Amino acid sequence: MLFDNYQPENFFDEMFTADGTTRPHYRSVAAALKDVDATEFRNKQAAVEASFMRGGVTFTVYSDSQGTERIFPFDCVPRVIAAEEWEIVEKGLIQRITALNLFLHDIYHDQKIIKDRVIPPQYVLSAKHFRREFMHIEVPKDIYVHICGSDLIRDKDGRYLVLEDNLRCPSGASYMLENRAALKRTFPELFKASGVHSVSNYPAELLKVMQYCAPNNFKSNDAPNCVLLTPGVYNSAYFEHAFLARQMGIPIVEGRDLVVRDFKVYMRTTAGLVRVDVIYRRIDDDFLDPSVFRPDSLLGVPGLVNAYRAGNVSLANSIGTGVADDKVVYYFVPHMIKYYLGEDPILPNVDTYLASEPQDCAHILANLDKLVVKSANEAGGYGMLMGPWASKAEIEEFRKLIEENPRNFIAQNPISLSRHPTLAGEQFEGRHIDLRPYILYGEKIVVTPGGLTRVALKKGSLVVNSSQGGGSKDTWVLRNKIPE
Amino acid sequence: MSKTPPTQEEVARHKQTNVMLSRVAGSLYWMSRYLERAENLARLVDVNLQILLDFGQVSDETMKEHWIPILRSTGDESTFFQLYEVADSESVMEFVTFRPENPNSLLSCISSARENARQVRDQISSEMWEVLNDAYHFIKNSNAETVWDGGSSTFYDQIKYYSHLFQGITVSTFSRNEGFEFIQFGKYLERADKTTRLMDMKYHILLPKVTDVGGAVDAAQWQAVLRSASAVEPYRRFYVADILFSKVIEFLIFEDTFPRSLMFCLEQMDDFAHLIADTPAGEYRSDGERRFGKFLNNLHFTNAKDIIQRGVHEFLTEVQIEISAFGEHLYTTFMYHPPVDMQAEILFHQQQEQQQQ
Amino acid sequence: MPESLPNIPSEGMRLRVRHLTRFHYDGPVLDSYNDAKLCPVSDPLQRCAAYNLRLDPDVPIHTHHDFYLNRVDHFELHTQHLSLEVESNSLVETRLDQRGAAPTGLTLESLHGPGVNENYFDFIVESKFVSQNVAIWKEAVDIVGQSVTDIWADAVKLGQHVHSVFAYDPDWTHVHTNAAEALKDHRGVCQDYAHVMIALCRSQGIPARYVSGYFFNGKTGDENEASHAWMEVFLPGYGWKAWDPTHNREADTRYIKLAIGRDYDDAKPVSGRFRGKGKQSLEVIVQIRQA
Repeated sequence: MLFDNYQPENFFDEMFTADGTTRPHYRSVAAALKDVDATEFRNKQAAVEASFMRGGVTFTVYSDSQGTERIFPFDCVPRVIAAEEWEIVEKGLIQRITALNLFLHDIYHDQKIIKDRVIPPQYVLSAKHFRREFMHIEVPKDIYVHICGSDLIRDKDGRYLVLEDNLRCPSGASYMLENRAALKRTFPELFKASGVHSVSNYPAELLKVMQYCAPNNFKSNDAPNCVLLTPGVYNSAYFEHAFLARQMGIPIVEGRDLVVRDFKVYMRTTAGLVRVDVIYRRIDDDFLDPSVFRPDSLLGVPGLVNAYRAGNVSLANSIGTGVADDKVVYYFVPHMIKYYLGEDPILPNVDTYLASEPQDCAHILANLDKLVVKSANEAGGYGMLMGPWASKAEIEEFRKLIEENPRNFIAQNPISLSRHPTLAGEQFEGRHIDLRPYILYGEKIVVTPGGLTRVALKKGSLVVNSSQGGGSKDTWVLRNKIPE
Repeated sequence: MSKTPPTQEEVARHKQTNVMLSRVAGSLYWMSRYLERAENLARLVDVNLQILLDFGQVSDETMKEHWIPILRSTGDESTFFQLYEVADSESVMEFVTFRPENPNSLLSCISSARENARQVRDQISSEMWEVLNDAYHFIKNSNAETVWDGGSSTFYDQIKYYSHLFQGITVSTFSRNEGFEFIQFGKYLERADKTTRLMDMKYHILLPKVTDVGGAVDAAQWQAVLRSASAVEPYRRFYVADILFSKVIEFLIFEDTFPRSLMFCLEQMDDFAHLIADTPAGEYRSDGERRFGKFLNNLHFTNAKDIIQRGVHEFLTEVQIEISAFGEHLYTTFMYHPPVDMQAEILFHQQQEQQQQ
Repeated sequence: MPESLPNIPSEGMRLRVRHLTRFHYDGPVLDSYNDAKLCPVSDPLQRCAAYNLRLDPDVPIHTHHDFYLNRVDHFELHTQHLSLEVESNSLVETRLDQRGAAPTGLTLESLHGPGVNENYFDFIVESKFVSQNVAIWKEAVDIVGQSVTDIWADAVKLGQHVHSVFAYDPDWTHVHTNAAEALKDHRGVCQDYAHVMIALCRSQGIPARYVSGYFFNGKTGDENEASHAWMEVFLPGYGWKAWDPTHNREADTRYIKLAIGRDYDDAKPVSGRFRGKGKQSLEVIVQIRQA
């Protein structure tokens, strides 16, 4: 039926081995889908999409001036991760975020890693999101990255690699939750017999993290007052902000709802000013406080940074975490793991060349048609050159950009991402996928067993971003090991 | 009353589940007011178009006399004459229905209602949002021609229908929290104000020549006022006889069983304001509350005869002032939110530094 | 202000400084957020014996240290006001530089030794008021030749060049004039002299940073003085050494250092943002006396 003509081809396929055998952890899914025909499958998929539209599970496309709401296309075949694979992923992520957090503390205090010459100082000091204003601020519990979404991919051999880290305001957790809810409604039979970890604890865990990170000056027997700070209803991720706030049962506020008095933060309510202790902010550093960062920002709260500095309010994530999002700094994460933890990285980086190192640069410029070039501080699939697929003109344009400002570019060998059966017309075909797991750092580090699997819906495409033709899948982590 | 920072931290540490942001309260209040305003406007235009049908052929001057008061009652006369030369049915209808330049046009009101709803999209029910969204797309997809061609009554009925649907859905899907109180307060405030303006308009325009009082034209005009308030049938139930000026006044002001009468609206405002301020029924604590309470109490000891003797217009003007003052009181106490005017804000952010010499 | 005193003091001094900044607004102002960097630093060349900051309206002060370890006194005024007074009073003891003369013959190579470059990275790249362009580079090359052979000597040459071609003109530039603009016109005040010399140094790979402070000119009357600015060059194995391009000499015990940074933007004595429609006027009084 749907799998009749399925070809893993020359890629790592999540569901099938090269000879076409179903991998053990996919057996129950395969059995459940065996008798479903294309029409039934498509109808169910349409029902899910209609329910997303009605429920407002949408994002706004930036380049669309009408602010049109779109849904994130959803594919009903779940991505399944075996229990033993997840064990490694989880350990690797915990190791990575631990090191990144130590790095952030170090870089905003003693800068030992620079003094010990593990990272050249110019790379940190020239990072776009390095915040000099934030130097020497003590953050509650020394936690900088409360919420992290690191993007993982699998190469030809099925090895998990870290593609990038998102330490500012990683988004997408609401899709992880909504995808699971939708799949449960549509294919309840898929879940039977599979033994899938639940992801529904995410909002509760997130709230626990916020409460754990109450400000240093917080002294009350009650729980701290937490809010979610959004740029407003026109933001592309507003749905997610509202969704998470509702799930956690905390107010969703805009900058203009907050006011700083005497280095303390309050929200304006019908009962007067109410103290705010912890802010889950979904606004970038630049816009957070016009009295410190961009003076033209009206999204932020004047005085917030100094209230934070004074220890009267907590921010999740902290200020200045974006320095570790820089793709040049990414290059050094394995070194950080070694330096701070004395361990070898469990999840390796993708091999990366730095255009600012003369030897690497020569290699990059000589091989632009074979490499993927990325600018250091862009996300969402923008500012990228996919060498093997690029035109001559595009390659020359990047050559010029790299020569002008080598610090701003890195290059990687193209990775043929793993593929996954995905509905394409009348049957399943292999489509490239990645994985964004969500890591929460509070009293302990919790990796939500699941995540957002993004899938490039266009045949052969390697770009999974929602803004560029990507879709998503529900992501299952199995509770038990399945014998071969 | 402005809010000052609490001196004691613990005072301000409310249980956060109980708080409602001032901004949210304000958006709910304005959403409700704008939709109510739209409904009243739809009635007003519809009825006036209908009256003209009774007149048969009318001169340009009569036509103007007929429409100007409507423009005046919504306060947009000067904007109108910047856009149009002649006040006739077509121009006025288009102006009060579709022109975005007119801040009180139906289109502007419904857009504003939807815009306010959008700001609190996650705090209202999906059904409430959908109705406002539908109403918005309905009026966006219409224009003066389609309304004339399709029959103006059908069009304005549809607007009223959206408003009624919204109110019904609100009652049956919105949690009875503080937000509900702001929605209701806004609705009744707007309705009370519009009811007074409706009566005042008749007083102004159709100020009858002495010989006309009690005549057929006068009766027709008062009937139009009743129809504008959806009050013809209820009125008939009370006063089987002819439509009389004094009876209409009495009904529209004092009949507290009729949900569009002034008295009904004012009492609802009073009730919801008590709930919002958490003031026990019958008590008046702040200056704003006391002033409104006094006014309401005086009204209870007034009758239609007193009002007519004193002058209907004078009375209505006073009522409008009281309504507006009470609305302002609640707004500044609970909802006021510094408006964000992007350009002005950027301009006002200044830097102070000194050069080193 | 350019002054030339014949005698370079041969010992340290005790100096008392009063620095009053008064802002007047012709319309009400609110939500004012301000940082003062007015506290003299304590280092081997000077000791801050006393420091006090007075504000009117009187509001709480929160103190922290910025990235360059400058002391920052932060204060906020939320309610409406029509004027703001910031007055600092400090007592400083300056000392002779015990390190002796600047080392000679240091080449750019010496900057690449281990453990060196984290000290100056921020001070060889562009910054807000010190951008680079061909004109700056060319002007510097004309003075030092194709390559720097002696960091300090070449830096001094650049400083002397600035002094010789510049005209001191307090009415020409403003607080936001950058190095490139000032160089084009060859005029400005000490802030511009410092920015231009820093730009010339950096264009040749010499680490240079901005210093904000005061200069004691020996006057005893009630004349008003101003805050001053000069610059420092990084010399490996020696540290930062100061040069004042406005007066064309090394800084000595008459100089009091308040803050350092990449340029003026990092070291502003008083800076702030506020909301208000009105215009502002500014009055500054600086008095320095021997204690």
